[in-house]
Amino acid sequence: MAANKKTKLGFGLLMLLKSLAVSKGRVLVAIASIMVGATVVTALTSLYFDVSEKMSHELRAYGANFFLGPSDQANPPHIAEADYQAVLSSIDADRLTGASPFLYGIVKLKLGDAVLAGVNFKGLQKIYPNWQLEGSWINVDFDDRNAMIGRTLADTMELDVGSSFDLIGRDSGKQITLRVKGIIETGEAQDNQILVNLPVARALLDRPDTIDLAMLSIVTTGKGAEDLATKINQAHPQLEAKPIRKIAQSDGKILDKIQGFMALVAGIILIITSLCVNAILSAMVVERNREIGLQKALGADDGAIIKQFVTETLLIALIGVMLGLVLGFGVAQILGQTVFNAWVSVRFIVIPLTLGVSLIAAMIAAIIPIRRAVRILPALVLKGE
Amino acid sequence: MDQMSDTTPATASAGHFAVQEDHVIKTEGLSKHFNTVKALDQIDISISKGEFVSIMGPSGSGKTTLLNILSCLDVPTAGRYLLDGTNVSDMSEADRAVVRREKIGLVFQQFHLIPYLSALENVMLAQHYHSIADAGEAQAILESVGLGGRASHLPSQLSGGEQQRVCVARALVNEPAIIFADEPTGNLDEENEALIIDLFKRLNKDGRTIALVTHNPEIGAMADRTIRLRHGHLES
Repeated sequence: MAANKKTKLGFGLLMLLKSLAVSKGRVLVAIASIMVGATVVTALTSLYFDVSEKMSHELRAYGANFFLGPSDQANPPHIAEADYQAVLSSIDADRLTGASPFLYGIVKLKLGDAVLAGVNFKGLQKIYPNWQLEGSWINVDFDDRNAMIGRTLADTMELDVGSSFDLIGRDSGKQITLRVKGIIETGEAQDNQILVNLPVARALLDRPDTIDLAMLSIVTTGKGAEDLATKINQAHPQLEAKPIRKIAQSDGKILDKIQGFMALVAGIILIITSLCVNAILSAMVVERNREIGLQKALGADDGAIIKQFVTETLLIALIGVMLGLVLGFGVAQILGQTVFNAWVSVRFIVIPLTLGVSLIAAMIAAIIPIRRAVRILPALVLKGE
Repeated sequence: MDQMSDTTPATASAGHFAVQEDHVIKTEGLSKHFNTVKALDQIDISISKGEFVSIMGPSGSGKTTLLNILSCLDVPTAGRYLLDGTNVSDMSEADRAVVRREKIGLVFQQFHLIPYLSALENVMLAQHYHSIADAGEAQAILESVGLGGRASHLPSQLSGGEQQRVCVARALVNEPAIIFADEPTGNLDEENEALIIDLFKRLNKDGRTIALVTHNPEIGAMADRTIRLRHGHLES
């Protein structure tokens, strides 16, 4: 019985391969159609799974997305330096793009009072890489001679890059002379502030162990930011951690739109692939009208005809999908490098997903041609002329 | 296949439709209408086991329509048809496919060989749908029609007569109850025509039942009996 099945299978396979070889032009076009569809699906699916991560990294350039401040329980309303460091160390280093503490105080200038902010310039640069800058950033933590100043304040004080100015801590009475290393234009409150290294601010404001708040830029996907905030708030009741909703929501909306767009493109490509395959298989059925009629005359029932065309379609689709998977992963890498400047991960889930979706598209495409094949009347197509 | 077993060969269920033991084919009131055109009207025929019958008539007389129904490629509009003791006239297409592969061998005027299969594989195709493709058996059948040395040739590499002999071998390979041939020499020259007719005569001599449609009176005359049709009716 097993040997019989093998012989039947062997002859069926021989028929299948020979019939496909005869229509090789059409078969190659069908394979190419499915390959293109599978390539797009593979590439977009790979990006789909990676885009949250990649886009989140990209979107970090648009500012901090996480705020850390003192909670209502904190008295005075400051954050202890130790708490801030504890929070930083609790966040996965790969996900923490940048962080800067902010220590605020009022200082006296020649023309009046101004807000002084002690910050970590390295962290600040990573959080706000898009701030417009005249001059340059302060690049070392121990620089106590330079300051960066907001554009509005610089204009009011008629300061340029390289100018020096004096300032006095309003409460401490300490005085210091600083040089303007850079003038920043942010569109935010910083346009009216003087930014110095945190140790400089600590000294001027007499606040050795505390900060007022911290801004963080963290790569998160989904509800990652909310979850992190909850975790921090539970661990440090004296702190209030929260995602910056405006940025976080924008991240989510953009990601949703991009993922929706990719799904739409993949869907359209699959429909086009399906239509192409349908046209090719229909032409193959017409081309093999008499052959199908003969098979039926020799006793092939509808099941045998359906099996033959389903097998042919599956074989064509499988070859197309295999090629598409290889090409698709390549295209995903090109897109990853072009758009995100990063490699796209090869995820196993993409393989069954592309295979399943492409095979379904191919089988849907085959429904009408197979119905046509089944409806062929042998008496009609085998009429002697 | 239930319908294949509901009628016994010896006697049909209707009393007036008694079938003799040796009748391979028996029809009663067989009609085929295409809208208002009566292609066949009330045809009563019988063909006995081992008989060589020719079906003749002018063009449009219904020869091919009758052959299509007898070979289960088509169904009658009315009437009954018993093939080898089984009522096949109201069978489903699926059951008729089974009857075609189990009981019928078909020989076509146009040969209808699959062009990309060799002579041997064309014969094996009939085996494939019947049971299993057996190259040894197929080769033996090809040898019996004088084509043992041409088994690996494609139809395009064979002459018309050789192609028709492959077609005959394909019809024979499953040991059918009856062979139906529609103008089997219609596309052949005289020499090949003679070869094919000789082949049919030899098959009949070996006990095969053959029903053959032809225009050619000489070929018709070689059969044991001729069924004549005119305008869809049996000529008396």
